[in-house]
Amino acid sequence: MSTTRREFIKTVGAAIATSQIPAEPVAANTPEAAALATTSPAAAPQLGGKRKVIYDQDTFGPFGTDILGTLMMLQADNLDLLGITLVTGDDWLKQEMAYTLRLLEMMGRTEIPVYAGAEFPMLNTKEEWQLRQQLYGGHRLDPWMGAFNRANGGLNEIKPLPPPYDRLANLKPQQEHAARFIIKAVRDNPGQVTIYAGGPLTNVALAMALAPDIVPLVHEVVIMGTGFHVFTNAFNIFFDPESARKVLRAAWPKFSIVTVDIAEEIHEGDEISPGRRMIEEIAAGAQSPISDLFRIHAVEPLRNNPSMQFFRMADEMMAAQVIDPTVFTKSEQMYVDICTTPGPRYGDSMFWPKNWQDVPDAGKSVSAADRRVFVDPRQFYLGPPPSAGLANVLQEIDHDRFKKLFVELMTRPIRKA
Amino acid sequence: MTTPSDMLAHSAMLSPVQQNPTPSGGKKKLIYDQDHRGPLSTDTVATLMLLQADNIDLLGICTVSCDMWAKQETAYALRLLELMGRTEVPVFMGAQEPLLNTKAEAQMRYQMFGSRSLGNEGYLGAFAKDAAGRDELAPLPPPYNRFAQIKAQPEPAADFIIRTIRANPNQVTMYCGGPMTNLALAAMLAPDIVPITKEVIFMGGGLHHSTSSVNVYFDAEAAKIGFRAGWPKFTLVTTDLAEQVHMQDDGKVDAIVERAHSPIADLFREYEQKPQRANPQRRSFRMPDEMMAAHVIDPSIFTGYDDMFIDIVTHNDGHYGDTSFWDADWKNKGGELSGQNAPSLKAGRVQVLNGVDKKRFRELFTDLMTRPINRSK
Repeated sequence: MSTTRREFIKTVGAAIATSQIPAEPVAANTPEAAALATTSPAAAPQLGGKRKVIYDQDTFGPFGTDILGTLMMLQADNLDLLGITLVTGDDWLKQEMAYTLRLLEMMGRTEIPVYAGAEFPMLNTKEEWQLRQQLYGGHRLDPWMGAFNRANGGLNEIKPLPPPYDRLANLKPQQEHAARFIIKAVRDNPGQVTIYAGGPLTNVALAMALAPDIVPLVHEVVIMGTGFHVFTNAFNIFFDPESARKVLRAAWPKFSIVTVDIAEEIHEGDEISPGRRMIEEIAAGAQSPISDLFRIHAVEPLRNNPSMQFFRMADEMMAAQVIDPTVFTKSEQMYVDICTTPGPRYGDSMFWPKNWQDVPDAGKSVSAADRRVFVDPRQFYLGPPPSAGLANVLQEIDHDRFKKLFVELMTRPIRKA
Repeated sequence: MTTPSDMLAHSAMLSPVQQNPTPSGGKKKLIYDQDHRGPLSTDTVATLMLLQADNIDLLGICTVSCDMWAKQETAYALRLLELMGRTEVPVFMGAQEPLLNTKAEAQMRYQMFGSRSLGNEGYLGAFAKDAAGRDELAPLPPPYNRFAQIKAQPEPAADFIIRTIRANPNQVTMYCGGPMTNLALAAMLAPDIVPITKEVIFMGGGLHHSTSSVNVYFDAEAAKIGFRAGWPKFTLVTTDLAEQVHMQDDGKVDAIVERAHSPIADLFREYEQKPQRANPQRRSFRMPDEMMAAHVIDPSIFTGYDDMFIDIVTHNDGHYGDTSFWDADWKNKGGELSGQNAPSLKAGRVQVLNGVDKKRFRELFTDLMTRPINRSK
């Protein structure tokens, strides 16, 4: 028996129903603390066994970086996936939910709870975005607007799912809002939870605003977005710059960024060995439904259109940072901040080295190594703004090891619940 | 394709299970969201008015950082309820920080652009240079004397707002006497509450006296979300209106100190009468929050409102938090420019209160402050 679109919309919307956030734990019995409910001290980080992960995503189906990131996380056996939280970004929340639930059914992983999150960014709107593009001109290499794409439907429109999804899932989302789930999961597992945030950072910003006490309790946050070389204006950030700024400025114990620059180094259509593409290897070697997804949405389209462009492996790299961070061979602590002035630079990212005082002064020549990372390091002389956050910016990746990890995860037997 | 009935099914589903409205004996259901500055301020006085009014069902008090940090404000609110014998009113601590604004940036904007960027007022509340830290809790002076025995509720203010509006569709008035941070969070988490909120009333911004005020420029992003959300009714008290009446006008304070009951008399003696006698040049503050409270208690004392559009500047510059107003009837006004004075694309619709019957306001205010302490629920 299949789910109708109307029934599906009902169940997704029901997830927005309210539920209480558990009480903030009360601190030591000082008179001040007794007077109020106050923040508890951070528990010591403790990592035992599998890494606990909250997977926050703007799942754009049927295929692509969001789906492949999801498949990697489902296939990895060193992760404990506490839940999937969705946020409007690449697509509208309800359509993303349709793909996510059905993918979990097809993968036999219906035990993973899925939570609906923010349906809109904090302030950005489709109409204002289009006006900004007209007013200031487009200046991005890939003018992707996700849910705000001109041709995209409304937030309540569920388009049918193509093969191999074929129908809407019988699986239902949870009744709790994504932000509340994040708060609860982090408080229940202090120092242990990694938040993978593969879409706009709206859900994480909401969780932080409601419960600032979770920030020091998180083990690591991994995000995708920002850039300094390919372009500075990355979708996940400029879809909701205010949320990105809020999240980037918080004092997380560890905050890792996959920039568009490093993501651009590897594309889904790349070869793993001379003459052999990763997608071909996977379509041939994987089990269903992974093999079907790659065959229908990558190998066959490429056969019909040999000049087909494949996307950078952005979310796949985030998944790698969670599953096996050693594939990254270089990273640097940097200050990162986001422009939220609604002008031509709305959503732009800005970087400063942690040791910005040591960057050679204007009189010295700029080294090739500096140029590789920064357009012009001289812009950093005055340092970051006062509230900028420090992030672990991933800068180099072992291409062979990353590709092998990716293909191995895709072709190993489908992981059971 | 999604049909219109699909959409309807969706929106109907978003409304929670409709509970029977709690009988409130005709009282107005109110969520009171406030940056509750103690010991006595326009915030506290408005709280006293609402506690004293017998036609208000005060569902809960929410606090939000601005005039002070939320923890300190919560301490004042809890103890005030004890002093007033109204410990049944639940208190919810809300947002401790604005959505994006920070103290360092507020200070730098002030230096860089001057107080113009701060609504001509230069008042920064919890972001003032010498203000206490976010988690510091200063002792409460007389007549508060000590921290309250009663506790704040564990639920965040935004969750309380969502839960309460859903349980009382079309019945709850939201009083936002501080920045709209809690309201913005509630609307983001649960957009379905917007059409079922009876009214939002907010104080901030202006066209003449100043183009912004601390409730807006402390959290301009929250103000933008709050104004744009599309509430069925949004009533605004501007600084222009609030400036028409000041606390020390017409001998109100002396009358209250003389005739009010404890603790109201004590508060006004200590924090209005004594400072004024010590320094006759002291300029007492305008009465913005008292006007909001008056509007909730008896809207008929206001002479009218202008139907307008409003939007907020969130550029991180000298205009951060500035308000822009447009006449709602812009299409038919402006002579040759008719049709050109359009509001911004996403501007919110507000009813800007444009006048108050000063005599009736004074009478209402003095009556509420001097009547026997209302100890009933």
